[in-house]
Amino acid sequence: MNDHVMGWDAGAMDVRRVVHPYRVDPESVGNGTPTEKAPDPQLGTEMIPAARYYSPDYMKLEWERVWTKVWLLGGRSDDMPEPGDYICTDIGKESVLIVRQADGSIRAFPNVCLHRGNRLRPEGRGNAEKFQCMYHHWTYGLDGKLDHIPDLCTFLQGGPKDMALTALPCTEWNSFVWFSLDQDVEPFEEFIDPLKRHLEPYHPERMAWMRDITVEWDCNWKTSVDAFNETYHVQGIHPQLKWYLDDVNVQIDCYGKHSRYLIPFAAISPRVAMPSQIPPAIHEIMVHAGMDPAEYEGRVSDIRRDVQLFKREHGASQGKDYSELNDEQLTDDYHYTIFPNVSVNVHADDVMLFRQRPHASDPNKMLYDIWMFGLVPEGEEWPERVRHQHFRHGDKTIGQVLDQDAFNLPTVQTGMKSDYFPGLWIGDQELRIRHFHKVMDDYIYGPGEKGPDDL
Amino acid sequence: MDLGLAGKKAILVGAARGIGYSVAEVLAREGCDIALTARSEDSVKDAVASLSKYGTKVVGKPVNAKQPEAYKEWIDWAIEELDGVDILVPFTSAGGGMGSEKYWYNAFETDVMAVVRAVEGVIEKMTEQQRGSIVLLGTTSTGEAMGGPQPYNAMKASLITWGKQLALWHGKNGIRVNVVSPGPIEFEGGNWDMIKGTMEKFYASQLRQQPSGRLGRPEEVAKAIAFLASDAASWCNGSHLVVDGGFTNRTHF
Repeated sequence: MNDHVMGWDAGAMDVRRVVHPYRVDPESVGNGTPTEKAPDPQLGTEMIPAARYYSPDYMKLEWERVWTKVWLLGGRSDDMPEPGDYICTDIGKESVLIVRQADGSIRAFPNVCLHRGNRLRPEGRGNAEKFQCMYHHWTYGLDGKLDHIPDLCTFLQGGPKDMALTALPCTEWNSFVWFSLDQDVEPFEEFIDPLKRHLEPYHPERMAWMRDITVEWDCNWKTSVDAFNETYHVQGIHPQLKWYLDDVNVQIDCYGKHSRYLIPFAAISPRVAMPSQIPPAIHEIMVHAGMDPAEYEGRVSDIRRDVQLFKREHGASQGKDYSELNDEQLTDDYHYTIFPNVSVNVHADDVMLFRQRPHASDPNKMLYDIWMFGLVPEGEEWPERVRHQHFRHGDKTIGQVLDQDAFNLPTVQTGMKSDYFPGLWIGDQELRIRHFHKVMDDYIYGPGEKGPDDL
Repeated sequence: MDLGLAGKKAILVGAARGIGYSVAEVLAREGCDIALTARSEDSVKDAVASLSKYGTKVVGKPVNAKQPEAYKEWIDWAIEELDGVDILVPFTSAGGGMGSEKYWYNAFETDVMAVVRAVEGVIEKMTEQQRGSIVLLGTTSTGEAMGGPQPYNAMKASLITWGKQLALWHGKNGIRVNVVSPGPIEFEGGNWDMIKGTMEKFYASQLRQQPSGRLGRPEEVAKAIAFLASDAASWCNGSHLVVDGGFTNRTHF
């Protein structure tokens, strides 16, 4: 008896077993993260042109019509709790200062002095009473007002218009700060819809920084986004994960601009035979939940459900409030792509977020930010903020799984430029890739306006 | 060479998969009647169904070998179903694990006591028959350190000692007891299958230690077990046979 997943026959895939993982009843989730399968968009089967990943023309279109039009993730709210705390973050050729104001609100400005164009601050975090340009000491307040121009009397034209840096839209949501380079950007609520209800139950404000890393990768930013938008590559590039997650019974949901997939964790892939011993990575999940794997009497196939039940029962006594999460969320990976460049794995006990940023001028390069946050149990001391690391691909390990992705992406980028590679041949397990490119099309060419000759 | 297995009655504990299942298959093919068990009802059913093609009597029922009373009942049931018992091979093992004291109890219960209880469950009948052959499973990890300080290795070592004692004690009643110690054996769903997928480098290092460049297959151990279990091995008693394709370095003087 074969089961059907998203219109194809799971039993006809390259699998050893047909598996029916436990799923919560979508009716039972109340106000929590919805689990219901969204209707699949009809996106056809056309090839996605390879040139999108290396064409300077397309890169220019992306800059004009995507990066300067959308809401962008800037940083963490808890990195800027006090007035004068700021986050300075680069996007493409731009750099933005996001600053905590005396009244607790935040404001954002281009990180550039109106005098001769010098950057006011290097990328990073800090605290300032004012922003003084190092070059000629033009000085701006936390509110972006140009408070002082040395020798103002020597500027016959007076000071620049409004004597202030351009105010950029910015907001805080779910412990993160967001900004836009477009002063006429749509309201954030409309942009992020419907993900508020999806992501707020995880309470990332209860989680502390665990890793803060930026790696320079030799690939287009979309090459990276694509890699995290499908689980089809698990059997290829992450063979060890077949004893950790179910890469076949993955629910894909596309919503407007954004999308997600739900992967059962603490599970064995249907692509391999069920082992009788607990795999090391699942052993770790059990230990982390507070279980003793040596005491476990159930079968390996029962572990996922038993971890859920254990965490449900013991979470509160461990200082972990799982009350807004459904049982699946206690083990599984709910993975969201927040258009255009945030891939975020949300789990009951941690959040692993990737921010993919384009290079300022080269479509073959990108910045890959890894932001990891761990739940701090109630009553435990908030850990010290981890230091930000920045390095080039290959200089340091970023962990086995991400290394496997990272080492593969430059060869994808190189291969895509071949005259013999017209474009991406996408299957339905990769539906989110197709959906992502459809949203790109709508931004770049206007909704439904992409012509047959457009890239 | 005729192994003389046709018509023999074999009780196999923990024989739904891996080496255990492979022994069941070799014995059934040689004409043995078989009673087998494992913990999972589904896997016992599957094993019985696929072994029935050899045309001998094959019966099975799930049992948890850590529950002495139910286990004893199962062995009595198996002897009754087969109308006697010529061969016993208990495969039960809790496998590896370290870091929790509980692993010692698991290994003691499953690797040692489940074997002891199986032997004690058949020994009376074999004595009465003045005929019987028991094969216990050791591991090459008893003779050479492997995998860190684990109860698995130490508990398995006790079976080798105990097997020799059994052989000397019951030999006068026509009962032979031998031990087979397999090296790394790979099969789908087995530990080495998972290690190959999850710890590629370690797996590769183990392949390099095998003179033939591969790990063993269950049937390669099963045939050695079948030989020791058979009348063809009538002069093998209290022996310990390492079946590892040359994996271990030690010599056996």
